[in-house]
Amino acid sequence: MAADAGTIRFEHTSKRYTTPARGEVWALRGVDLACEAGGLTCVLGPSGCGKTTLLRLAAGLESPTAGRVVVDGRPVTAPPPGIALVSQEGALLPWRRVIDNVALGLEIRKVGRAERRARAREAIRRVHLPPSVDRSLPHELSGGMRQRVALARALCPGPRILLMDEPFAAVDEPTRHLLQDELVRLWQADRQTILFVTHNVEEAVTLADRLVVMTFSRTVAEVPVPLPRPRDRLDRAFVDTLLEVRRTFAEHADGKHDGYAERPAASTNAEGG
Amino acid sequence: MTAKRILVRLALGAVPPMAILVIWHVASVGSVVVPSIPAVVEVLAHPFRAPPTLDATSLANGALVSVLRVLAGFVLAAATAVPIGLLVGRSRTAMDMLQPTMAAAMVISPIAWIPVAIIAFGLSSPATALFGDEAWRYGLLDRVRFAIVAVIWLGAFFPIALNAAAGARGVRETHIEAARVLGAGWRQVLAKVILPGAAPAIVTGLRVGGGIAWRVIIAAEIFPGTRGGLGYMIATAHEQASYEYAFASIIVIGAIGLALDGLLHLAAARVSRWQPKER
Repeated sequence: MAADAGTIRFEHTSKRYTTPARGEVWALRGVDLACEAGGLTCVLGPSGCGKTTLLRLAAGLESPTAGRVVVDGRPVTAPPPGIALVSQEGALLPWRRVIDNVALGLEIRKVGRAERRARAREAIRRVHLPPSVDRSLPHELSGGMRQRVALARALCPGPRILLMDEPFAAVDEPTRHLLQDELVRLWQADRQTILFVTHNVEEAVTLADRLVVMTFSRTVAEVPVPLPRPRDRLDRAFVDTLLEVRRTFAEHADGKHDGYAERPAASTNAEGG
Repeated sequence: MTAKRILVRLALGAVPPMAILVIWHVASVGSVVVPSIPAVVEVLAHPFRAPPTLDATSLANGALVSVLRVLAGFVLAAATAVPIGLLVGRSRTAMDMLQPTMAAAMVISPIAWIPVAIIAFGLSSPATALFGDEAWRYGLLDRVRFAIVAVIWLGAFFPIALNAAAGARGVRETHIEAARVLGAGWRQVLAKVILPGAAPAIVTGLRVGGGIAWRVIIAAEIFPGTRGGLGYMIATAHEQASYEYAFASIIVIGAIGLALDGLLHLAAARVSRWQPKER
């Protein structure tokens, strides 16, 4: 267990959904992927390629149809301890004030009120939110602030693994860049394992140590990103890597390169990533 | 809001009651059915005085009996309807099983159940259940007849349950999943996500159910076979042509109903304050 702490492995994992409109749809087909402890892996793929399903399986919110998912060395059958999930919309509980949202994970673990408040305030400080937002309700904040709160809530219990489902997709570009830089700074300090899914190539290159390309419910390519940090988005090496990833992405985007283009109607991909 | 605007609102709000008072005054002149305003004010001014012309207790006692009956039925309805509503809202099996029956039962007037309830429960009350033949010694407790409580329960149950179901159904799956990933079991999901998320709808159901309960109690008390309460006072005042007591009872019914709704309105505002205001 200790040697596997913080690792995620997808072992020939498939997931099939049955929908009233489209019948059986395969969201994942035989995915093999290993994320080592403390790494920052980005999964890059177009909408509907199965990225979200990948995270939901790791979070224990879904069960695979075939294969298995192993987190911390144990097969996942329910949400594993020590993980946190940040989704695109943040999923903050709208009736809870910011501090109570951030402290939710500790409250669930029955940590005392004084300690959880102190740790929640620290998490809020770490994501660069002013202390004055403590008492605000989520709807009183901007989209970027809400995502910071969601990140603070995920970080507050001190997870070993952070699953991130396009968490910055709904914010404007300058805010997105700020949030990306803050995420990297926090990750460098804590060294959690991060599995981050996105359809944004620049975001993937900014964040990842290692980048996995997904199309048509499969992982089709891996690209290491050996760029030094902090990464300058205008740096020549960054732009070259970006172009290489774009080329790889484009090669696989239509499925012809991997022989998946001609697919029967019943095997189309699930909606929603 | 400016002082001028407050005065304008108060003045506008006072127009209908003033108009009613004028119409009442005109209608009471020379009438034996419509009592004069001073006669009704006289009854209201002495709420603890037993009516000399009626076989009934004082207005205050009647109000207390009615309120106790409503509270017993309403609390019972809330305690049973909220859990069942939450279950129907979150479980497809429970919804398929219970929703059609609940929707059908909702449209039956609770008053239709009064004869059935009287046959089922007779004259039994908490006092008869606890003290048997000595029940008459425990006046108030003996007045809270199970038959009336059952009718109130039936009247309030369905709107509360259906609103709780709608509220629970409206809780977003992403909120539940956020709590589950942070380690919440089903009890914590219920306490920390589903209940607070459904609370505004539950309180709306309580307001609707409370209003129905308060309306039903008067009808149930007017029904032959019951004694005590404001409805009984209205029926007796009508039979014995002491209409000032009927009018005074109606005013008290309105005042208590308004207070009950005001309390539930405050509760609704409290549990809904997280919802952004529509502009």
